[in-house]
Amino acid sequence: MPTAHQNKNDMEWFIGIIFLLVKLGLVLLTLLLLAAYLVWLERKFLARLQIRYGPNRAGKFGLLQPIADTIKMMTKEDSVPEAADRIIFLLAPAVVATSALLMFAVVPFGNALTLWGKNIPLVITDLFVGLLFVFALSSLGVYGVALGGWASNSKYSLLGGIRGAAQMISYELSLGLSLVPIVMLAGSFSLVDIVQAQEKYPFILVQPVAFVIFIISAMAESKRIPFDLPEAENELGAGYHTEYSGMRFGLFFLGEYVHMQVLGALVAVLFLGGWRGPVLPPFLWLLIKIIMVALIMIWTRGTLPRLRYDQLMALGWKVLIPAALLNIMVTGAVLLL
Amino acid sequence: MIVPFNHVLVLAGLLFLMGIFCVVVRRSLIMILLGVEVMLNAASIILVGASLLWQNLDGQAVVLFVFAIAAAEVSVGLALIVWAYRRAGTVDPENYNILK
Amino acid sequence: MTIYSIIFYLLSVLILVTTALAITRRNMVHAVVYLIFSFFGSAMLFYLFGAPFLAVLEVIIYAGAIMVLFLFIVMMLKVDTGGERLFPLSQWLPAAVCGVLYLVLGIGIVVSDPNSHDALKTARAEPGAFGQYIFQNHWLSIEIISLLLLVAVIGALLLARRSKRPSAQEIPEGE
Repeated sequence: MPTAHQNKNDMEWFIGIIFLLVKLGLVLLTLLLLAAYLVWLERKFLARLQIRYGPNRAGKFGLLQPIADTIKMMTKEDSVPEAADRIIFLLAPAVVATSALLMFAVVPFGNALTLWGKNIPLVITDLFVGLLFVFALSSLGVYGVALGGWASNSKYSLLGGIRGAAQMISYELSLGLSLVPIVMLAGSFSLVDIVQAQEKYPFILVQPVAFVIFIISAMAESKRIPFDLPEAENELGAGYHTEYSGMRFGLFFLGEYVHMQVLGALVAVLFLGGWRGPVLPPFLWLLIKIIMVALIMIWTRGTLPRLRYDQLMALGWKVLIPAALLNIMVTGAVLLL
Repeated sequence: MIVPFNHVLVLAGLLFLMGIFCVVVRRSLIMILLGVEVMLNAASIILVGASLLWQNLDGQAVVLFVFAIAAAEVSVGLALIVWAYRRAGTVDPENYNILK
Repeated sequence: MTIYSIIFYLLSVLILVTTALAITRRNMVHAVVYLIFSFFGSAMLFYLFGAPFLAVLEVIIYAGAIMVLFLFIVMMLKVDTGGERLFPLSQWLPAAVCGVLYLVLGIGIVVSDPNSHDALKTARAEPGAFGQYIFQNHWLSIEIISLLLLVAVIGALLLARRSKRPSAQEIPEGE
């Protein structure tokens, strides 16, 4: 062990930890705040689409509504059904929220900064299997839904959980396959490298098919209308989270909206050039792109009816996966030429 | 330095033993299939460890194939179990005693 | 004792304990949940052994796909395992004989192998280099494996189709 550099190394290590904690805190705060205000945005925008006003009592334009909702959820009773599998029932919502939050760890939100002679990458961790890390977490998110539905010990919840599991593992395939061409173009799984590879043009220009497949599968993955069969209010009560109340229900909700942001960030990073953009600072560009994608998802929700179960499976297995495979082949052929 | 290689061998060996135990002792087809998965996983651990010991990527390559085989085995195996369950109404292998 | 060896022992304990809990559970959903933790531990072990690509694949394939399929089947079949005997007496003798044989053989291998006392050095296989290695040296195996997966998809479809009620369940096979 070299001792001369030990002290300096320790110092560097300590500063690195401090910066990491600051970055973690900032990202977490932004994610949670944005999740709360996405709910507000969704209610407001959806209301306008349906020619109503939406929330407008708490604060100007209803801007305090998310805070009021949070207080309401925190103070509500956290009930557990008598016949439920207690531990799994209590842990399932945390799985949903955590897996969604952790996905943001590999999303870059700016070029590397230089502060006081130290290089700070503006990403929490630049894993060189970053994209696969996101997939791994999104496949773990299935457990929150499936186990939450099973542990409630209620028929509607179980149906919702089974539907959720089937839907999410089916669409994970097309989600993964649609991104293979992007990895081929960038030559790396690291999201930082993928953003670097889009210096000249964003990948949406060369990969429109992958973009469409990714958006559709991503919406199915986050279980939003038109793919909200796992929670389908008018047939299953509320699906897998029928039996949940209070902050545990809030965690499912939080998971859904953080997932929306992650998908927005992924669309931005993979297809729209990530944090790149003129004039405005990089961080703001990423935020704008995330909100744009979220607005598109809300708009879809206001426009389309829910799919039937067989339509959902047919769309995933018979349309999206073959299209994604074809896209991989064409991209490979073009890259070889 | 991580650990001597025989510690990895012991870990994988114990895991494999648990897999065999599960396959032999449990009386439910689903648990038997789970035991097979545990055994495959033990084999992958030893392959990755050996690949690190000899600094050779062949071990990792074989693990990739093990993953593919495990996935194929589970999808066919579970489909078989569902099929058998629909015919016999049980997943206990001792109840499959009719020759038709 | 380096930090790597501490991590290794912690992970080993995690893997062994969760697997032991998994294979003795009567409730199969609990077994599946414990096994997910076990596979998660194995994935971290792979990362420690310098195979990050395989580590993520382990989580995606084992924890994310195979275990979901198990969970799906367990939830769908509604199997009653309350009456299952974990230790049928008639199987004690063969199980014990096999176990002892296995232990003796295992100890023999671990002790006699001259290589096995070498400490593992940390190394890392980048996904790109790994991919190139695989497609240069094992391209035939890749083709055979993909054929196997195709066969599995067709087989699973065929088994699902033979049911009396065709539209009742759609199992997403061929993961």
